[in-house]
Amino acid sequence: MKQVLPPGMSAAQMDRALKAIARVVGDDWVLATDLDRDTYLDHFAVDEAAHAAAAAVAPLTAEQVVEVVKLANTHKLPLWPISRGKNFGYGGAAPRLKGSVVLDLSRMKKIEFDAANGVALVEPGVGFYDLYDYIQQNKLPYWTSVPGNSWGSVLGNALDRGVGYTTYGEHTAKLCGMEVVMPTGELLRTGMGAMKDSPTWNLYRYGFGPSWEQMFVQSNYGVVTKAGVWLMPAPEAMIGLDLEMENVDDLGWCVDIVAGMRRDGLLQQSPSIGSWLRGAAVLTSRKEWYDKPGALPDDVIAAIRKRFNIGWWSISLRLYGYASINEAAATLIQSQFARHTRQPMTITRWNQGTPLNPAPGQAAFAGVPITFPLANAAWHGGRGGHIGYSPVLPANGAAAMEQFRRTYDRYREFGMDYHGSFAMNERSITNVNQVLFNKDDKDMMGRVNGFFRALVKDASDKRYGEYRTHIDYMDLVASTYDFNNNSLRRANEAIKDALDPNGILAPGKSGIWPKRYRDQRA
Amino acid sequence: MRISLKVLLATCAMSAGLVMGAEADGKSLYSHRCGMCHQTIGMGVSILSRRPGDTSKGLLEERADLSAAVVQAVVRSGIGNMPRISRGEVSDPELSRIAGYLAKGKP
Repeated sequence: MKQVLPPGMSAAQMDRALKAIARVVGDDWVLATDLDRDTYLDHFAVDEAAHAAAAAVAPLTAEQVVEVVKLANTHKLPLWPISRGKNFGYGGAAPRLKGSVVLDLSRMKKIEFDAANGVALVEPGVGFYDLYDYIQQNKLPYWTSVPGNSWGSVLGNALDRGVGYTTYGEHTAKLCGMEVVMPTGELLRTGMGAMKDSPTWNLYRYGFGPSWEQMFVQSNYGVVTKAGVWLMPAPEAMIGLDLEMENVDDLGWCVDIVAGMRRDGLLQQSPSIGSWLRGAAVLTSRKEWYDKPGALPDDVIAAIRKRFNIGWWSISLRLYGYASINEAAATLIQSQFARHTRQPMTITRWNQGTPLNPAPGQAAFAGVPITFPLANAAWHGGRGGHIGYSPVLPANGAAAMEQFRRTYDRYREFGMDYHGSFAMNERSITNVNQVLFNKDDKDMMGRVNGFFRALVKDASDKRYGEYRTHIDYMDLVASTYDFNNNSLRRANEAIKDALDPNGILAPGKSGIWPKRYRDQRA
Repeated sequence: MRISLKVLLATCAMSAGLVMGAEADGKSLYSHRCGMCHQTIGMGVSILSRRPGDTSKGLLEERADLSAAVVQAVVRSGIGNMPRISRGEVSDPELSRIAGYLAKGKP
């Protein structure tokens, strides 16, 4: 990728800014060759060039981040912070605003561990594998909670509201205490950390007065250089209850009973009800079954399911903690499912003191990092890609069925293979839909944008908003949050202008544009 | 007690990170930087094991056909489902050691 520049900046100005930053981070950590720019593109995007970075700079310490941010103000240089840049499906390492400089924090890998309280204080470059290895090497009695793509950053995932499989799976809710470089370069600590040397920084969230931690989540109001993450104490026992459901309509009752379990606390983790392709796309490729364009016919779907013994829907529930409580909960859960299906649940048990060697498909439930679900992007063959479409619904079966049928019809209308799941939160459902594509298939790629926009409109018509989206669609999704003529966006941007008067930090993130670049809104 | 344990463990982590960055051999670096996808049950293993005629079980360490130049090019340019890896994540000296390990002496 040849040199690209942000709006209003010359090549000479960029060169001066990067040279100044090199004096802070060292020449080796200003990455500005054509090949460097390529490596920060979003490999899975529909149009990689649309979000090309001008360069990347990779500081090692929070002090260096402070200096880089101050220099960005001096040179009016837009920065795009990434933790490890593995936010695949949502933009990877690539900036929303073309020509931004990626602030790559992946070298910042320090871990401090409070073993008495089960809190890891991590820097942005700490990946799930790093934290898992650290816990294993130090024989600490805690489990990590990992997402389906565990290649990424513990902190970055929590800051984008990523989720995992255990009772600690709502990662953003397990953050406690942040260190943040503000857009002007001032370093602050949130909550109890606002008191110098407080021993409760990572133990009590709110501090005194307003609590700002969610302000730095999915936003562009600061660079989080460190945060406390609460970890689940290693349980005495774990029970797995897995079910393959035969019929499309099974989604409705399944949502209703699991929603009840989530509300009353019988089930403490957030299981996801996934369609057959979630399992199949990591086990096989489309071309092994069908070589024609358009959505897969029902008989082919049936053959794939039969071969791999996959239900139309599948769900995996997990109980963690004391063995006697788990056993009682498992009995109650099975009895509720038995009222709706004769299909027995597959039950697995693990108790502390016995080896924890989960099968590949079970690893994440035991807090073991995984990456194999990313193989789903190879479903079509060619250069795989995907983007995520993830509206939030009320937790009831009728709403889920209506959402499923409408979305399924859209997939077929656009000739795409349906890949949906319904993650059961405490009071809502996150309906994660993967749009899988083959970047070498021009016809398919020509359909993706229209398809995605139709999905967003369908959801918005039902008044469902997305919880997270790809950088291509941040403005579109932000526009659907339209109460009182988008008053939340106006408030977000008023805050942005107050905190970041030069508009240097992640312009356009989550549809929040600083005054300087507001004309870039799509 | 709590504080001393915290300090001890923090020291362990920082030391491990420094060794991995500056002096680790190609095999260790490969495991740490690439293993999540290219060892055990990773994404790369899952996809590569499905290649027609694959005898490596999808494991790059089992292959004899990789040269250092190919490994370096693929890492920086990406291939198929594999995204490009930046110098911020794997530096040029680290990549050189990883490529040397996988190429088993081939340039």
